[in-house]
Formats: sequence, structure tokens, C-alpha cells
Amino acid sequence: MSEQRRSVAIHVPVLARVEGEGALDLRIEGGDISELRLRIFEPPRFFEKFLEGRHYTEIPDMVARICGICPVAYQVTAAQALEQLFNVELSPWARAMRRVFYCGEWIQSHSLHIHLLAAPDFFGCNNAIELARIAPDEVRRGLRIQALGNELMELFGARSVHPVGVRIGGFHDAPSLARIRELREKLRAALPEAEALVRWTAGIAVPQDDQAFVSVAMRHPRDYAIERGVIGASDGLLIEPAAFDDHFAERHEPTSTALFGSYHGQPYLVGPLARLNLNHARLPEPVQALLAETGLVPPSRNIFHSLVARAVEILLALHEALRLLDDYRVPDSPWAPATPRAGVATGCTEAPRGLLWHRYEMDSEGCVVNARIVPPTSQNQARIEEDLRLSLLEFGLDHPDDALRLHCEKVIRNYDPCISCATHFLRLNVERT
Amino acid sequence: MSGIRILGIGSPSGDDQAGWLTVDALAACGVHADRDLTLEKLDRPGAHLISRMENAGWVILVDAMQSGDPPGRIRRFDRNGWQAYAHGLSSHGLGVLEALSLARALGTLPPRLDLYGIGIATAGPADQMSVEVHAAVRQLARHIAADLATTIPRGP
Repeated sequence: MSEQRRSVAIHVPVLARVEGEGALDLRIEGGDISELRLRIFEPPRFFEKFLEGRHYTEIPDMVARICGICPVAYQVTAAQALEQLFNVELSPWARAMRRVFYCGEWIQSHSLHIHLLAAPDFFGCNNAIELARIAPDEVRRGLRIQALGNELMELFGARSVHPVGVRIGGFHDAPSLARIRELREKLRAALPEAEALVRWTAGIAVPQDDQAFVSVAMRHPRDYAIERGVIGASDGLLIEPAAFDDHFAERHEPTSTALFGSYHGQPYLVGPLARLNLNHARLPEPVQALLAETGLVPPSRNIFHSLVARAVEILLALHEALRLLDDYRVPDSPWAPATPRAGVATGCTEAPRGLLWHRYEMDSEGCVVNARIVPPTSQNQARIEEDLRLSLLEFGLDHPDDALRLHCEKVIRNYDPCISCATHFLRLNVERT
Repeated sequence: MSGIRILGIGSPSGDDQAGWLTVDALAACGVHADRDLTLEKLDRPGAHLISRMENAGWVILVDAMQSGDPPGRIRRFDRNGWQAYAHGLSSHGLGVLEALSLARALGTLPPRLDLYGIGIATAGPADQMSVEVHAAVRQLARHIAADLATTIPRGP
């Protein structure tokens, strides 16, 4: 029997400022995948070194620079860690507004991902511009929802990109009641739009994948966990963020500067679908009812359901923001004072793309001795590789190169990794021997 | 014509401030915001640009441009002239031309759009503005002010 040998190399070009570059190396031999390697280079690692020696008051603004799309996640996680170490008790106002602030980020990030990155794949479009030609109302709606998320971020952060509103102990400033009233009206008006978005995403035909994986997400006894909680897994794990290293590990692979996350030695999923799988019972009743109407019954083993999960989380975030802003009062002080002390601080929240874990060793002056930041993309990296392997085998390896590339892109985009920020992010070079 | 928006796009890095400084320079030319005219400085607005242009009759956009032109060279594109320069879409780095392409596909481009690009070489954090780009900013502000005066006769 002659050996059929087919080599495929897929390269990711250099991308936007903080996302760096990546590549997918795929080799198919004798009708089977002999090599599949996703490489992502994540410049956010450098921030850990930049933070050393910095005073705690600088940390929220510095970590906001790690990502232009999810700065709130980095700010709130860092603040949560340091507030715990310094025994700072947030006021009920600050605690609630941190969640509202975070809701704004989920709304804008998810809406961007759905409309500009993921949805075009399922309509045979190369990008959102093409999608806008065939579904202008849906794209317009998506941009309106995204703008509302940005507005919520600006309200507490003074600007939506690299906001500056968070300080240890709360916020630098509190929005006026007049501004909150105005925003509440917009949030209320957006509810039917978000409901329509959930129905629209649920109606999009996606591949029927079925894969076994462990979902990992924050859990909270009452809330759909966003800015606080413990770490849970679909196999029953429930741990405090400080115990992260007892169960999760990051390893270097020889071909990549990025770290690969593992849970008890295995790949795992973080992000919207993992959250929905673990926390769907914590969704507000109207959101649960709409989810039931779509026919998606969590837990789902189809990663392509991430699209609906994001839409559901947008609706959740609108409901949560409205609930928490309902009886808004301007507080006497938007922040509580902090007194630094030496020790180790850990923080954990749910960034739009999944679990975000921070660890800081601080000295008695309140300066960083060392820092460790575990972002969602590195945690998902091993799972993406595993998914690509299974998904490509299910899809069939005999498809033309362009079809293979597009399928790989679709799979990777489900995870909304930072490398997904370019529409044609996989370049396909084919060698056949 | 009502609903004129002048949008200066930039960042704090050196010559990339060109769009912002053009908006500032317009004040020195006697152009001030009023009921029908808004002036805004935007920091890499991404898809936000679409909502900033919505319902305007005339949008004047000023941005720094790296095109191989010598620093300070001003280029003007009308409602159609910029399309060949648009690239792909990226949520992390949605550029001005990509946002304009999206607005066109959505049918929300303003009836009149003047896009001005001021040629720059490089722009890094803490860089100073170059003499050439400074001069171009003042020249462009005078040009826009004259254009506004011609198009919209204003009272004393």
C-alpha cells in the first residue's frame, strides 16, 4: 500500500498590539493526523515582570493595559486579590458596582465577538462587512448592544479602552444619579434586542459536535459568577482561588513561548460555554426561560454552542446591571481606605473569555515582589488543540485545504482567543508529497 | 446643510496626534461647536466610529496616515475614495477604513464624507510632533475652516 502523505502548515500572522502571533501546524499522514500543534505567543506574560516593584495603587491601571477588550477583568481581579490581602471590606455599593462595571465588559466583548468574528463563518461570509450586507439589521443591533456595553464601562472607568476608574477599595468616583437613570433606560430598551439576539444565534446552523471535556468556571451560591466566587469544575471540584496551583498547572512546550494550562494533567475548557454548563441554574428566571425556548439544554458538549452562550450572557449582564442599578444612590465615599501589608494575594474572576487568575506577592510597603497572571487563552490552548484534532477527524481530512483552514478557524474562534482578532488569521501553506 | 461632525482621530504618540491637533487648530481659525456643528477628538474608536457618524449630514474625518508619503503631506478622500485601502476586520484593531467599510455595508455612511489623511513617518510613545506634521495640521485646519465658510454661510 502506498503511503499517502500530506503536509499542511497553517500560519497566523502578527496581530494586534497585545495579542502577538501564533501558528497552527497540522500534518496529515496516511489519512490520520500525525501532528497538530497550536502555538500562541502571549505578550501579557511580560506584564508580570513590569509589575515588580510597582506600588499597589498603580496596579489596576497597569493591568488594564494587558487587553484592550477586557481591561475590566484584569483590573477587578487584581483589585479583588489586593483587597483581600489588605483586609479591605468593600461597601455594598462598591461591590455591586464592580459587578455592573464587569457586566459592561461582557456585553461589549461578547457582542463584538458574535458579530464581527464568529457569525460571518456561519453565513458563508469572509468578514462582518459581508455579513452586514446580508444581515444589516442584526449587525446594527449587535453594534448598538456593543456600544451600550462600552457606555457602561465608560460610566465607571471614564473610558472604555483601558479604563481608569478602579482603585483598591472601590472606585475613584461615583456616577451621578442622573447618568444612572439615563443608562437604566437604555439598558431596559436593550432587553428585547438581547432577547432577539439569543433567538437569532440559536437559529444559526452550527456543526453538531459532541466532545467530552471538563468545564471550569467560577461558582457562586446565589449569582451567575462573574466577579467573585470559588473555582468549580464539571467533575465536582470546588476550591478557593488560593488552591488553584494544587489542581491546575501551566507548562512550557518546546515550540511555543505560550504556556499550556492543564487540570489534573488534562486539557479543560474555560469561557462562556463552561460557565453556562456549570451555572445555568443561576441565570435569572427570564433568561432561563428563553434558554429553554432555544432548545439548548446545558450542559452542552458542543463547543459551537459558545455562540449562543455568549448571547445568553449578554442578556444576563443586562438583567444584572438593571437589577443592581435599580435603587442606585450616590455613596458618601466610592472607596474604602486600604493599608498595605506583606503577603500573598490571589484573585479570580470570569473574564469574557474565561477564568482569569492573579497571584501577587507584596512587601510591607505595598509594592509587588512578584506577580503571576493566568489568562483564559492559555488555559484553553490545550483544549483547542484537542478540539481541533477531534473536530477535524469528524469533519473529514479529505476536504480541500481551504475547507480545512476554514473549519480550523471556526473551531478556534469558538474559544474567542485573542488571536481570533483577524478575520483571515490562518494562512494555509500546503506541501504534498 | 445641518449636522456637521468634525472628528479628529489619534493617540498621544508623537505625530499620531495629528487628528486631535487639527481639531484644536480649528478653534484658532474661528471654528467652534454650535447647534449644527460638533467637534470631537477620538482615541482609536474602532466600531464606535459608526455611531459617531450616525445621522450626520457631513462628516469630516482627520487621521494620521502612514502611506509612504513624506511627513506632512495631506491627502483627501471623498465618500468613495478610500475603499481600495481597507483591509480585513479585527475586533482588537478595527481601523478607520474598516469601520467606514462596515458603515457603508450597513448603509449608514453620511451623505458627505471628507476623509483627510496627514502623512506621518513613525509614532512612538512620548515622541514629539514633527515640524512638518505641525505645519500640516495648521494648513489643514485653515483649509477645513475655509471649506466650512464656503459651504455654510454664517452670520457675523
